[in-house]
Amino acid sequence: MSRRPTSSLAACVWIPLFPLRCEEARHDGLAGFPTALLAPDTTRKLWQVSSPARHTGVKPGMTVSQAIGLCPTLRLIEPDPVHYDEQFANLLSALTEVSPVVEAAELGLAYVGVDGLQGIYGSAEKIIEAIRLAVRPSGRPAVRLGWGVGKFTAWVAASRAKPSEAVVVPLGHERSFLASQPIAVLPLDADMHHRLRRLGIRTLGALAALPEAAITAQFGATGKRLWQLAAGRVIEPVQGRVAPEPISAALSFFSPVGERELLVHALDQLIARALKHPRRIGWRVYALRVRAEIEGGGSWLTAHLFKDPTADAGRIAAPLRMRLEQSPPTGAVERLVLEFTGFAPGTTELQLFARDAQAAARAGQQRALRSAAREIRMRVKRAVLYHIIEVQPWSRLPERRYALIDYEP
Amino acid sequence: MVAPARAPLRTDRLRAVNEPSQVTVEIDGAGVPVAVRRLDGSAIGKVESINETWRIDDEWWRQTISRLYYEVMLEGGKRVVLFQDLIAGNWCMQQP
Repeated sequence: MSRRPTSSLAACVWIPLFPLRCEEARHDGLAGFPTALLAPDTTRKLWQVSSPARHTGVKPGMTVSQAIGLCPTLRLIEPDPVHYDEQFANLLSALTEVSPVVEAAELGLAYVGVDGLQGIYGSAEKIIEAIRLAVRPSGRPAVRLGWGVGKFTAWVAASRAKPSEAVVVPLGHERSFLASQPIAVLPLDADMHHRLRRLGIRTLGALAALPEAAITAQFGATGKRLWQLAAGRVIEPVQGRVAPEPISAALSFFSPVGERELLVHALDQLIARALKHPRRIGWRVYALRVRAEIEGGGSWLTAHLFKDPTADAGRIAAPLRMRLEQSPPTGAVERLVLEFTGFAPGTTELQLFARDAQAAARAGQQRALRSAAREIRMRVKRAVLYHIIEVQPWSRLPERRYALIDYEP
Repeated sequence: MVAPARAPLRTDRLRAVNEPSQVTVEIDGAGVPVAVRRLDGSAIGKVESINETWRIDDEWWRQTISRLYYEVMLEGGKRVVLFQDLIAGNWCMQQP
């Protein structure tokens, strides 16, 4: 098995509130309004809140009723995790154009290994420019970039950067850079943050100035790790992933098949089989080919590259169906082979929201739902579909517990 | 739960659900509901049993709410909530 490629010099690419930014990108004019995204697990609470909404006092974790009370013009958006996953997967794909070592941390946050890229692009600024060019074209929101040795330094640098800007921590300046940063940049929970502040520790420098043993005694193994991060003693390299070997699925027919419908059906089966392959989990397909062995010795071959990598059976099948329509095999097919040859990384968030196969299934359901809703709307010419949301489910007045909102997929 | 993607939901398009509808309620000597009718006089059903009773006095700081609730089982097994608005005196029905 091949070793995972690593890089100690890291660039951190960060788009804060990535899901909210994705919604703003696909709904014109949304950015200027107070907006909040409902939580994926419970539509009763807010997950992410836009800056105009924050100014009115709306905060993540609030209930819908509290938020509406504070900001009557608040626009609520239901989450679409599949869309965010797809957008993030596209971002990762774009980053792999710059460096083969890309690590997804969470939605909107990825690390790019930049060791050795100086030979291709030149200085750090030029590499940053290449990253920026790679992630910009598809209308993505402004990214913040951080550069430094190890993922933590790069992350802290990105967290200090303004939108569309980059903060570079020069080699050897990590400790002095980290020393002035607030402890909030550390991966610590609210309780530990509170305890550190009560001890008067407000910067990484103040934390690093304490003896390591004392921090370990007070906060255990977690404290030790935090101390090491604050002191710049650990360098966590960016860990890339090795793209899987091609995945193939084949079907031999008992008697050669010439009917196009049967071939389409066989292709659907092969796609489903290949998508279920364990090596494919966590990866999306961007290149494939299909070959057919034709009765009497001939062969037929077609290949396709996807602009947007996908793990959706329907999207994979569509161009192949078209190819079968336009230039079918010249004779009856004895054996059909499908190969996934190129892969783009999925996201770690898929584990949280929607593993690939589920994501594909949900995307399919959503498309069907959308088209059914569109048809109903066309027939009755007004909104007749509603969705129930919880407003004050604890209310002693039954009519206050739920509300209806127009269903507009 | 499948989380559907959709256009932004504006709060001005929120619609009430399970709003109470006004009904006529026959009561016995103790003031307990025994039968429910629509305002046009047609019967909704006789009360078979009363599952729960509670009173709410709330929101005195804006428009006072004072209601006496009965969760009842009608003949045929339908469960509904009846309440008497203790300020206006009228009866309403809604889903539990």
